[in-house]
Amino acid sequence: MSWRRVLGALTAALLAGAFAGNDLGAQAQEGTIIGQVLESASGQPIPAAQISVVGTTQGAITNSEGRYVIRGVRAGSVELRALRVGFSEIRQTVNVVAGQETTANIRMTTMAIALNPVVTTATGEQRRVEVGNSIAQVDAAKVVETSAVTNVGDLLTSRAAGVMVLPATQTGAGIRIRIRGNSSLSLSNNPIYVIDGVRMEGTTGSSSVSVGGSTASRIGDLNPDEIESMEVIRGPSAATLYGTDAANGVIVITTKRGVAGAPQWTYYTEQTAMQDRNDYPTAWRAWRDISTVSNTSQCYLTQVASGACVRDSVTSFNVVADPETTPFGTGYRQQHGLQVRGGSETLRYFLHGEWEDEDGITKVPEFEKRYMAANGLSLNSNQRNPNGLTRITTRANINIVPTDNLDVAVSAGYISSDMQLVRSDDSGTAGVAANIYGGPGFKYNTNAAGDTLWGWREYTPRRVYQTETSQAIERFITSASTNFRPTDWLSFRANAGLDFIMRADHQLCRFGDCTSSTDRQGFKRENRTNFYMYTVDLGASANRQLTNDIGSETTAGVQFYRNIFSATYATGRGLTPGGTTVSSGAERLSDDGTTESRTLGAYIEQRFAFRDRLFVTGAVRSDRNSAFGADFKTVFYPKFSVSWVVSEEPFFGSPSWINQFRLRSAYGAAGVQPGTTDAVQYYSSTAVLGESGEEPGLVFSTLGNSNLKPERSTEFEVGFDGSFFNNRLSAEVTYYNKVSRDALISRILPPSLGTGATSRFENLGEVTNKGWEALFNGQILQRDQIGWDMSLNASSNSNKLVSLGNVPTITGTTQQERAGYPLHGYWSRGLLGYEDKNGNGIIEYNADQSISEIVVSDTAIYHGTNMPKIEMALTNGFEFWGRRLRLAGMIDYKGGHLVYNNSERIRCASRNNCSGLINPNASLFEQARTVMVREHPSRSVAGFFEDGDFLRFRELSLSLTAPQEWAEALRGRSITATLAARNLGMIWTEYTGVDPEAFGTTGDSPSSFQAFAPPTYYTFRVSFGF
Amino acid sequence: MLTHTSRTSRLSARRIFRSAALSTLAAGVVVVSACSPTDILDLTDPDIINPSDVQSPAGANAVRLGALARLATATSGSGEFFMLSGMFADEYINGDSFIARQEIDQRIITVQNNFLTDANRSLHRARLSGEQAVQLLEEFSPAAPGWHRAEMYFVQAYVANLIAEHYCNGIVFSTVTDGREEFGTPVTTTAAFERALDQVIAGRALITGASADDERVLYALQVLHGRILLNLNRYAEAAAAVAGVPNDFEYLVRHSLSTSSNYNWLRNNNERRYNVADNEGTNGINFVSANDPRLPICFGGDAVCAAPPIEVTNPLRDDLFTAPVVQMIWTARESEVALLKGQEARMIEAEALLATNPGSAIAALNDARTTVAGLAPLADPGTPEARVDMLFRERAFWNFGVGARVGDMRRLIRQYGRAASDVFPVGDWQPGAKAGSYGTDVNFPVPQAEENNPNAAGCMDRNP
Repeated sequence: MSWRRVLGALTAALLAGAFAGNDLGAQAQEGTIIGQVLESASGQPIPAAQISVVGTTQGAITNSEGRYVIRGVRAGSVELRALRVGFSEIRQTVNVVAGQETTANIRMTTMAIALNPVVTTATGEQRRVEVGNSIAQVDAAKVVETSAVTNVGDLLTSRAAGVMVLPATQTGAGIRIRIRGNSSLSLSNNPIYVIDGVRMEGTTGSSSVSVGGSTASRIGDLNPDEIESMEVIRGPSAATLYGTDAANGVIVITTKRGVAGAPQWTYYTEQTAMQDRNDYPTAWRAWRDISTVSNTSQCYLTQVASGACVRDSVTSFNVVADPETTPFGTGYRQQHGLQVRGGSETLRYFLHGEWEDEDGITKVPEFEKRYMAANGLSLNSNQRNPNGLTRITTRANINIVPTDNLDVAVSAGYISSDMQLVRSDDSGTAGVAANIYGGPGFKYNTNAAGDTLWGWREYTPRRVYQTETSQAIERFITSASTNFRPTDWLSFRANAGLDFIMRADHQLCRFGDCTSSTDRQGFKRENRTNFYMYTVDLGASANRQLTNDIGSETTAGVQFYRNIFSATYATGRGLTPGGTTVSSGAERLSDDGTTESRTLGAYIEQRFAFRDRLFVTGAVRSDRNSAFGADFKTVFYPKFSVSWVVSEEPFFGSPSWINQFRLRSAYGAAGVQPGTTDAVQYYSSTAVLGESGEEPGLVFSTLGNSNLKPERSTEFEVGFDGSFFNNRLSAEVTYYNKVSRDALISRILPPSLGTGATSRFENLGEVTNKGWEALFNGQILQRDQIGWDMSLNASSNSNKLVSLGNVPTITGTTQQERAGYPLHGYWSRGLLGYEDKNGNGIIEYNADQSISEIVVSDTAIYHGTNMPKIEMALTNGFEFWGRRLRLAGMIDYKGGHLVYNNSERIRCASRNNCSGLINPNASLFEQARTVMVREHPSRSVAGFFEDGDFLRFRELSLSLTAPQEWAEALRGRSITATLAARNLGMIWTEYTGVDPEAFGTTGDSPSSFQAFAPPTYYTFRVSFGF
Repeated sequence: MLTHTSRTSRLSARRIFRSAALSTLAAGVVVVSACSPTDILDLTDPDIINPSDVQSPAGANAVRLGALARLATATSGSGEFFMLSGMFADEYINGDSFIARQEIDQRIITVQNNFLTDANRSLHRARLSGEQAVQLLEEFSPAAPGWHRAEMYFVQAYVANLIAEHYCNGIVFSTVTDGREEFGTPVTTTAAFERALDQVIAGRALITGASADDERVLYALQVLHGRILLNLNRYAEAAAAVAGVPNDFEYLVRHSLSTSSNYNWLRNNNERRYNVADNEGTNGINFVSANDPRLPICFGGDAVCAAPPIEVTNPLRDDLFTAPVVQMIWTARESEVALLKGQEARMIEAEALLATNPGSAIAALNDARTTVAGLAPLADPGTPEARVDMLFRERAFWNFGVGARVGDMRRLIRQYGRAASDVFPVGDWQPGAKAGSYGTDVNFPVPQAEENNPNAAGCMDRNP
């Protein structure tokens, strides 16, 4: 199928629909339905309920009084459907009289389990039961009100089965999200993000300057208070129509909307305290007896055993545990926000503004304050508070309904933030964590100048903080969408939007302040990057009731995405005293870069509904992308799904304990596109300094690959949903099997070729991810005064690299990509055994295996995967006092994976301060792994691959919805207050490092290397509606 | 309460909006349909240079300059080869925490060693750039001075020789022709030396002028020619090849902030990850305690080191064990590095004479020593063994830190019958500071990454 034909067909469909819509004569046969939707028990109006005329494109949303109007309804008997989260679906027949208003009031019954009956798909909103996939939903507005949520990651953490979120470890740091495992060996495994119908930038590690580890994720720019809901479209079977790039899943974000009615103002504030309550490892030191050789060297356990030295004493010191020396204090975060929503039938609005300020947990230690006071030194405000975030977010969402068959939604969000990041994590010798983990094992060590370092390795925080790193973001996310329904069976949809980001990264080390002699005279980096992400999305849907039993919906659309990255970098080195700009540098460097990619896609989807209980959907999408190779043109992605509400079949018998039971299955494909220049062969510019000065040169950079095509993932999923026992128990269970073929392998190029690029993308590999996902919600106790609900979500994932094509196993220092094993698996020569043969309590290595007390494998062996195989989150909620007071807690389990405790590795191998090297009471295992990495010729680090399983107390919250009279006494509408805590502590783990989620980076296979651990947040939030 | 407009006005508004929306939608669709997808998706990336852009005299010259940039990077730049080579030999010891560096120092190198893989890749990049430049200059700039192409042959020959001096039998030279990869097949080190020799001869033949550049490139080719012939055990020819090269000749690669930093300085003086070694592993030369003026030394934090231009004030190396031992040949990021020197021509002449005419050989050594103040003339140590030691010691000081020492150590084993355990460092590795023992490697393995070449099969052997 050629592209011109696809576009031609779509044009014909759209124009045909348009002319059909001009059939004004049909208006004479139309009537109007008006009515009010009420809660059946209390008679209270239900706002924001979706009322639709079954089998047509027509519908309305109730206003704050529960009222609705649907005009232009074809005369005769029609069926209305009412949907609202927390209520049972209602269908009601109405006889519409031409040219008249017909009243249809609807009463809805509450459900114990509040699943949203509507989900958002690539073709628009759809009833959940019609979709053959499991789509996870997070009621963001509710979570924000009742939990300690500081970023979008907190919204998703442990709330959607199959979605793994790696939390941030410091203020402003990024999160990592993986859905149904890692699918791609060489490309990004990040999901894509869609906000209000347009694509948005969500990259991790979004910074052009290094602080060693933690950097921002652009998804973290979003304000959770502006989000109404998040939906996770987990894999290709559901994401097919999102096309190339959607194979890793899609996270669909819907921001809050106005509700027709009088303006409803809400002021809220959050006051949050943060602390690092983690146990960082203690540094040890073994002092030699002064009579042996030298007192400057230590006397390690194995040296004691061999008689190479005699110990005088052993000391230990923990920098973080000592109140004088710890760099961690209490961080403070405050938010103040104001929002208003309201409007009329024709115009609804949501306006929001928030100011947020966060001062991280990294502080100037007490000993430094005393030192500076005694020496007349000072730090500027950025250096005193090296980790912080100030952010202003505003949003205006307008919905306009100018006519009955046309509605327009305009969303505009603006974000302005300024973040300071401290050099932390694995930032070599000049980072905070590196100097904590590398301490000497006693408190009063000194540097060359004779200054006491107070147990820090080489640099104290005062010196580290003098390198100031900040990132300023100005971001504008805007979208406009139009729905036009020229007839009751045909609708058109047009979305367009832009996510624009201006990122300015700054790094400044003033003259004389730098920790490295390279930069002793100071440097300034000033890097400015613009991101543009455009979306144009046009579609048309035709609804027809083919027979009394069969309904049909045909949807076709065209999408165009354009991403531009444009950067200009400048560096000044050798600053003047007082100089803080690039211009003040004696040496100035500049650089720039531009990348652009464009995707043009078209799709057509056909859905049939049989008696409104069996839904069959088939679709195909076609994409072309500027990054595809010259010899590859178009990719097609098919999709097929079935959803069957079995419980509505007559043969089912409707047992009283089953309210609804649905079987579903789906198959689909999606892709991940290669990088913008991966297909192209090119030279790169370079500079050469010759005898006549610097001259421009060219070097051969990359071979390119003219056959390059997107990585293609296909997925099959099958499962069931059900609600049981008077809707007090709901269950969703799904099995999935995702296969990524034509997987893009970053094939290492032989060094002997001499190309600039070290690798070339080739479509060679195959990766599978299989697993189960389950979500159970139960209303265990439901009384007027008290309630108890429970939610369990769980998932498993089994990842395997099936094939690397004809590429040899890719071998890294600790990881290998080997066919038949998981991606990024840990491999190294293994510690097969250890035994204290001579009974001296010390493990020793000897080249003579009969004497040696460790046994090491001859070759690298597989140790395990770095991605959790099993994740579970259990949430219990208890409600009291007329169910106004809610106490909820979540515990979180992840397991089946290994974490490379690289911090302990460097402590044992190079910092010489770990327990296994020095502590006479260290376990034999600690000693054995230390001996293996230090003394065995293999230098194997396998002993530091540790079980990463953990059970964590993730969240605890106490929230109060105040009685109405309290609010009225303050002349308000509502008051809610929440006291919440996040990351309260580890319940169980065998991991010996600081935390199995302590990663300073957001890549696919990070080790825990000299990293901070996630802090604990204590939040108090009050919302006042008026 | 809902508000209701009159039916008439609503119908009118409906028509207007419907017409407007229809028109916009139809126009949008028509526009989209009319555009060719190829047009929409056809992009020009401003960051890249297309292969067609180098097919001109200016383009060929830019590729020539690029080859020189690659050479500087590969040797004393970020390719770090000279430092890795010196650490494998007895010039430097490791002073940081990277296991991949430590295993080089310990002579127990794994094939996946990432530092050596990167270094190997950098060398081949320089070689490929040299090849491409020769082809482009011949085709698009035939009137360019002969030394242009000659220097590109020098780049290829220098790299091939350096690789042969360091790597095991099984070396691979691949290439890219007309934009397509051509994988090479493994060859012995001897074959690699022969390859380098052919390129040197081809280069020398192109020097027809007498300009400073002609002379500079010619001398470089001569010294390299001599070194290659030494490696091939052809001493007399080697001496003849270097005849006429003045003592003060230097073939320089240059560094700057905007091109490539001098990594001999960066890794030793600045980052303190490497330290000048002294009697490393028993057999090593006393580079520190010799106090040889060709290799001035200071210790981090001492008065000399702390003063300009050295300014190494930190008294501890990166791993904090001892004071960093800092060379003072290259004192800044911008320090230029002499890949080849005229004094080496005298060393080559001396080696050719050593067995048959030791007096003249020592005279040649002393001739070179006159170029450095404070170097007393050498006396004949009296025995052939001692003369060989003296010769190689002289070579070691003249060529400190420029990747020549490993080739010399291997020649001592291969051509002078020394045992590897008498040449390379042995015993406990950095006792008191680190742990473990020296291994037995006498050369670098072919990187595992080369297995992506279907013709490659790793080392044929690990012979010296």
